[in-house]
Amino acid sequence: MSLLSVEEVSVRFGGVMALQDVELTADPGRVTGLIGPNGAGKTTLFNVITGLQEPTNGRVKIDDQDVSGLKAHQRARMGLARTFQRLEVFGSLTARENVLVAAEIRRRWSKDGSNPKEVAEAVLERVGITSAANERVDAMPTGLARLVELARALAANPRLLLLDEPGSGLDTQETEAFGDLLLELANEGLAILLVEHDVELVMRVCQLIHVLDFGKKIAEGPPSKIKADPRVQAAYLGADEDAAPEEEVVPG
Amino acid sequence: MTEFLAFTITGIVTGAIYAVAASGLVVTYTTSGIFNFAHGAIGMVMAFLYWQLRVHFHWPAPIALFVVLFVLAPLFGALIERVLMRNVRGSDTGVALMVTLGLLLTLMGVAFWRFKQTEPRALPEFFAGNSVRIFSVNVSWHELISIAVAIAVAAFLRVLLYRTRTGVAMRAVVDDRDLTALNGGRPSRVSALSWALGSMLAALAGILLAPKLSLNVLALTFLVIDAYAAAIVGQLKNLPLTFAGAVALGLGEAYAVGYLPTSGFLSHIKPSLPMLFLFAVLLFLPQVRLRVGRVVGGRSVRVPSWREVGLAGVGLVVASWILASILKGPDLASMGQGLALGIIMLSLVLLAGYGGQTSLCQMTFVGIGAVVASKISHGSSPIGILAAAGAAGLVGAIISLPALRLTGLYLALSTLAFAVLADNLFFLQVFGGGGGNVFRRLSLLGISFDGQVAFTVLLSVVFVLMAAFVLAIRRGPFGRLLSAMKDSPAACATLGLDLTRTKVGVFALSAAMAGVGGAFFGGLRGSIGSLDFYYIQSLVLLLMVTIGGIMTVSGAFLGGLFLGPGFYLLGKVIHIDGLTFLLAGLGAMTIARSPNGIVGQISAAVDRFRKQPVREDDIVEVEVTQEVEGIVAPVG
Repeated sequence: MSLLSVEEVSVRFGGVMALQDVELTADPGRVTGLIGPNGAGKTTLFNVITGLQEPTNGRVKIDDQDVSGLKAHQRARMGLARTFQRLEVFGSLTARENVLVAAEIRRRWSKDGSNPKEVAEAVLERVGITSAANERVDAMPTGLARLVELARALAANPRLLLLDEPGSGLDTQETEAFGDLLLELANEGLAILLVEHDVELVMRVCQLIHVLDFGKKIAEGPPSKIKADPRVQAAYLGADEDAAPEEEVVPG
Repeated sequence: MTEFLAFTITGIVTGAIYAVAASGLVVTYTTSGIFNFAHGAIGMVMAFLYWQLRVHFHWPAPIALFVVLFVLAPLFGALIERVLMRNVRGSDTGVALMVTLGLLLTLMGVAFWRFKQTEPRALPEFFAGNSVRIFSVNVSWHELISIAVAIAVAAFLRVLLYRTRTGVAMRAVVDDRDLTALNGGRPSRVSALSWALGSMLAALAGILLAPKLSLNVLALTFLVIDAYAAAIVGQLKNLPLTFAGAVALGLGEAYAVGYLPTSGFLSHIKPSLPMLFLFAVLLFLPQVRLRVGRVVGGRSVRVPSWREVGLAGVGLVVASWILASILKGPDLASMGQGLALGIIMLSLVLLAGYGGQTSLCQMTFVGIGAVVASKISHGSSPIGILAAAGAAGLVGAIISLPALRLTGLYLALSTLAFAVLADNLFFLQVFGGGGGNVFRRLSLLGISFDGQVAFTVLLSVVFVLMAAFVLAIRRGPFGRLLSAMKDSPAACATLGLDLTRTKVGVFALSAAMAGVGGAFFGGLRGSIGSLDFYYIQSLVLLLMVTIGGIMTVSGAFLGGLFLGPGFYLLGKVIHIDGLTFLLAGLGAMTIARSPNGIVGQISAAVDRFRKQPVREDDIVEVEVTQEVEGIVAPVG
């Protein structure tokens, strides 16, 4: 039984099939990669999993329980948290307040008696943005704002973390540190689903990679197998590796 | 049978006119994304202009019609697009709402001023006196023309939108403005054209309606507002459904007139029907998806420290005490009025300023609070204030529930609908048509605040306490949560926040505060009547606090100051009808340029003065952010 399983999910936007019969699982303790060229449907799949987009067909299960009828906030309370490809930071708040709000929201529904302030400080420290904690987020460079989103998601203390291109906007050194953090989080038992254009990063941290192209899954396997897969190379790796980071266009 | 047929024909005629008005609304909304709250007012003003040419100047009908419909109305529509709406595009719904509401009040103000309502005016029907007999019912030519016009408009719009280049461009602009420009379209020209067309249709509806009513500013503005309900049936984009909705509404009204009793509660259903209809439709609209992909932020005003709040609070109370001892009579009353309105406006700072939601029925909550408080020892008991808060809060929670799953525009529409319903079905019942209920002043722990000076000082204390309460919310976890929800509802939901519950909570809290305001408002007035809570008052209130600065408690103070003593003093100098509407409306139309109102302007000026180099950087950053917002806006 997987923590998350996506079964036969299809999404149609007008005449376009954004996703077609996609299957995918994510398990605790590892980073699962989700890659594919622009417009492959990665963000749409994230929206379906987190409850922001209703699928035309198919099911999303958490702990084997079908959550298709549940709203976004109900799924979050089952342990889902995410970041957004197009930033959804709380722009008028500081980085610290962004994280604090998340911790406060969590305490509100979990009633776990945690201290939001302590949680926020710990998470800021862990992601390495304590020095920028008092800056307003709408004035931050994108790379840093993405880290705020990561910290905010972590403050909700999730079991499954969905990261949508968290690495874009980071330089080589920051990407290195970021990869270490992901592996560390996975080692502590977190399930991570990672959408990322930085192929090197994906190959380094993921044990299992799914490849989407035009809404369909074209490959699945460990990094070595994905690298060697001719279909993947044709669709993705060879084609526009240099073009990243680009915006994924979601129709509709 | 004859009777039924007669009502049916009347219903179809009314429906036809609603359809013309509603289709104009749909055309502008779909091409510009802006819901024009001033649509009805445009129709009203154009009907008055037509009267001016046709009756006052004795122009022949065809020439007067041509001038109004094909010259004045389209020019006016294009002009507002050029001057006003251009600044609004790309900003959030809130700004568009304020600007079009500002236009609505400005037009009403102008009409009250230029066409004094004390002089009776009548507009003759087209071909008055001519009628045909259909079975056993006399149908006037005017009525037949109305139906024919609606059919012609439907056919015209169909051909325009689907068969002509311009029409296709109009529909393309809705989907993607930038893409249309890339493909050689000219979005700005198309947009101006659609506003011209919308304004023409409003004028047409106004001119067809006017002979059936007297030429009355409120009635005409309002009757075209009824068309909103029809436009909502088509979800503001589907024209055939809009026409169907309009005819259904017209028939419903006609049958209500025909078959409902002419006295008692049910007799008030007819004027309320469009709004009941609107409410019912809102219940059936599908839930909107959360939008993802925006960077929101913008300048917010600094929250003052507790020390500053304390000093300002004490200062305000002392100043009020001194002023209240000096001022007398109406001067003192206007000062109290300003403070009471400030208290009420604080509820909007919480709801709209912090929470990012709109209410066009805040005076209705004030009224509910006042009525409930007056039932308990005629308002003199502190328990009455608690009951006022409870009742208004409860009503607020109930009415916000259906609209909160939808977007901000629908909340605005349904609160407007609620305000109108409450006018017809509640306040008129309670007060029996404008008459006042006696309201005694608060008496607390054996101290009576009956004297004018004592009550004015009490109002200043209440304002300070309420402001401190609002600021405490702002600084605490709930305030943070509200900011977060305003910036990104989607992110809040994916963190586990139940958006609907939180929004209902804020709405109810704000309504409860307005209810408390109502208890003090009643005490100040000494008697309350239905006109105090008339729906237009809610619009004026919202616009005035926005002009003052809806993000801050000092904005509420300024708003109250302007609306109370400010307009009172101006009224002594400038003697024109509709001055309040005119000034509130004109002020609100500048909001696109300074969303934080006067307080925002002042604090920006102070900041510039204090620490020039640092702030300069800040301003650049914010501008960049807004550009990003413009590009990423239309997702999912």
